[in-house]
Amino acid sequence: MRPVLMVAGDLDELLELRAFIDLVGASDAKALIPENLLNDGRLSTLGLSRVYSIEALDEAPAEALSTTVAELVRRDGPGIVVAPSKKIFREVFARAAQNLSAPCVTDCVGISLVDDRLVVDRPFLGGGYIERLAVRRLPVLLTVQMQGRRPSARKEEGFEAVRLGRLSVEEGTLRRVSVERSARGGSELGKARVVVSVGRGFKRREDLKLAEELAQLLEAELACSRPIASDLGWMPEEKHVGLSGKWISPQLYIALGISGQVQHMVGVRNSRVIVAVNNDASAPIHKEADYSIPLDLYKFVPALIQVLRERRSRAG
Amino acid sequence: MTVIHVFVKQVPDISTLEYDQSSLAPRLEKATQRLGEIDLVALEAAVRIKESLGGEVVVLSAGSGVSELVLREALAMGADKCFYVSDERLSRADSWVTANVLSRLSRRVGSPDLLLCGEASSDEGNYQLGPRLSEALAIPCVTHAVKVELDGNVARVRRALEDRVETLESALPLIVTASLELATPRLPSLLMIRAASRKPLTRIELSELGLSEELVKPLLERVSARILKTTRRNIVLQGEPRECAEKLVESLASEGVIRA
Repeated sequence: MRPVLMVAGDLDELLELRAFIDLVGASDAKALIPENLLNDGRLSTLGLSRVYSIEALDEAPAEALSTTVAELVRRDGPGIVVAPSKKIFREVFARAAQNLSAPCVTDCVGISLVDDRLVVDRPFLGGGYIERLAVRRLPVLLTVQMQGRRPSARKEEGFEAVRLGRLSVEEGTLRRVSVERSARGGSELGKARVVVSVGRGFKRREDLKLAEELAQLLEAELACSRPIASDLGWMPEEKHVGLSGKWISPQLYIALGISGQVQHMVGVRNSRVIVAVNNDASAPIHKEADYSIPLDLYKFVPALIQVLRERRSRAG
Repeated sequence: MTVIHVFVKQVPDISTLEYDQSSLAPRLEKATQRLGEIDLVALEAAVRIKESLGGEVVVLSAGSGVSELVLREALAMGADKCFYVSDERLSRADSWVTANVLSRLSRRVGSPDLLLCGEASSDEGNYQLGPRLSEALAIPCVTHAVKVELDGNVARVRRALEDRVETLESALPLIVTASLELATPRLPSLLMIRAASRKPLTRIELSELGLSEELVKPLLERVSARILKTTRRNIVLQGEPRECAEKLVESLASEGVIRA
């Protein structure tokens, strides 16, 4: 058991990090969180001895945040430092690790002790493989793939709160010229029971209405493959499911017009039931589906909506 | 003259990679080697900057068993020269070692204005090289770039995070990591491939970089790797759309994943 530092942007992330760390245990746990989370009552049930807070943590530049993380590691001497696998935290941890001459592992999906050695599991070779890495030196900085883990209940405990204020951006470094926020909503994706996901099989942006209608009928969340968010910008990045996006595990995942490359499938592999609609019968998604429908989504989805509507009206 | 360093990595071709049926481990030793897709994107972005502003594109690579044939691919795409380190000791390199070697290599071959690499390699996908180089070289870094523009001594970079798109500006030198959307790699013409065979490709020994033992000793060790096998039922629904939709709804309702 080692002391641990958890770095999180919101409470869901912190809960998941705590559950991840509980897999190997921690002799002491501290956290670094945004200032506005300090008043959340659930903080006292996470077994934290000290909580550092930063104003507007999610807007802090990676360089400044990594300096803070490295300072806290030097001050408190944690063996394991964890944060969620998001672009900003991967960058912050890689920087802090180089600064500390420390190892850093991104996108961890598992952690355990094997013969007293700390080992972590992560995707490898595009997500089709899992590699197991042994950590040869502590501290180690890990970014953890968010998969909806929750810690078991603890009794309430007080903690020491240390406010670090707002991080200053040193002069002579990068200047942020503009920021465009995309619509929130991706955070619900991780909890959804049913997810309807769209891919390049959709020819026009307005055609996504088909998927929206289906999602509404099924009380599902919408998601998409990488090109829909990144190349086409039809949906926000937060809705992107796959290796470099969200990893989800709904009861039902309906993939519409998605080819099913390994980088996409790694994000949905833990779904209970996968339905694939793709008119290319040779698309790899058909091999990874429970129900495979090799039809044109423009013909099939309206039929599916129709059938669902009729059932609903019969059920009254 | 704008000097751009582009970091590339020789990786196994994942699309043709095989695995051992009993251990489920990838047969990496048998894999075809190629340049990572994201490295080609970074390279394409560099070559386009050179084509519009002039300058020089220098390709840098480090690994074990590095093939000059693979690196010629980068030269064929429009890079001017290449320096590489190939050393058996790098076969177990982690991000720490790779960043230490490549930062030293970059410093040794010149003073670049722009340093470009992929956001994450196609095989390891660590997302660490750019930020680690930034620390090692004390040069600022913008990750996940979808657009890079140079204007005199200033770079303007657009990058996409999960919940926002940012535009950042920095004086050069600057490190930029490429997102897949940054550029579409060109297919080199036969003429370019021929020209590449005459471009300088220089091997530098690891020992020439003057790295201490501490800096080339990996902090992580891969103890195993195995393929993830998913077992799905692969039930194919055939027929007219209406018929398939009915069958599907029936099945999903009986499994309890949708409201009956």
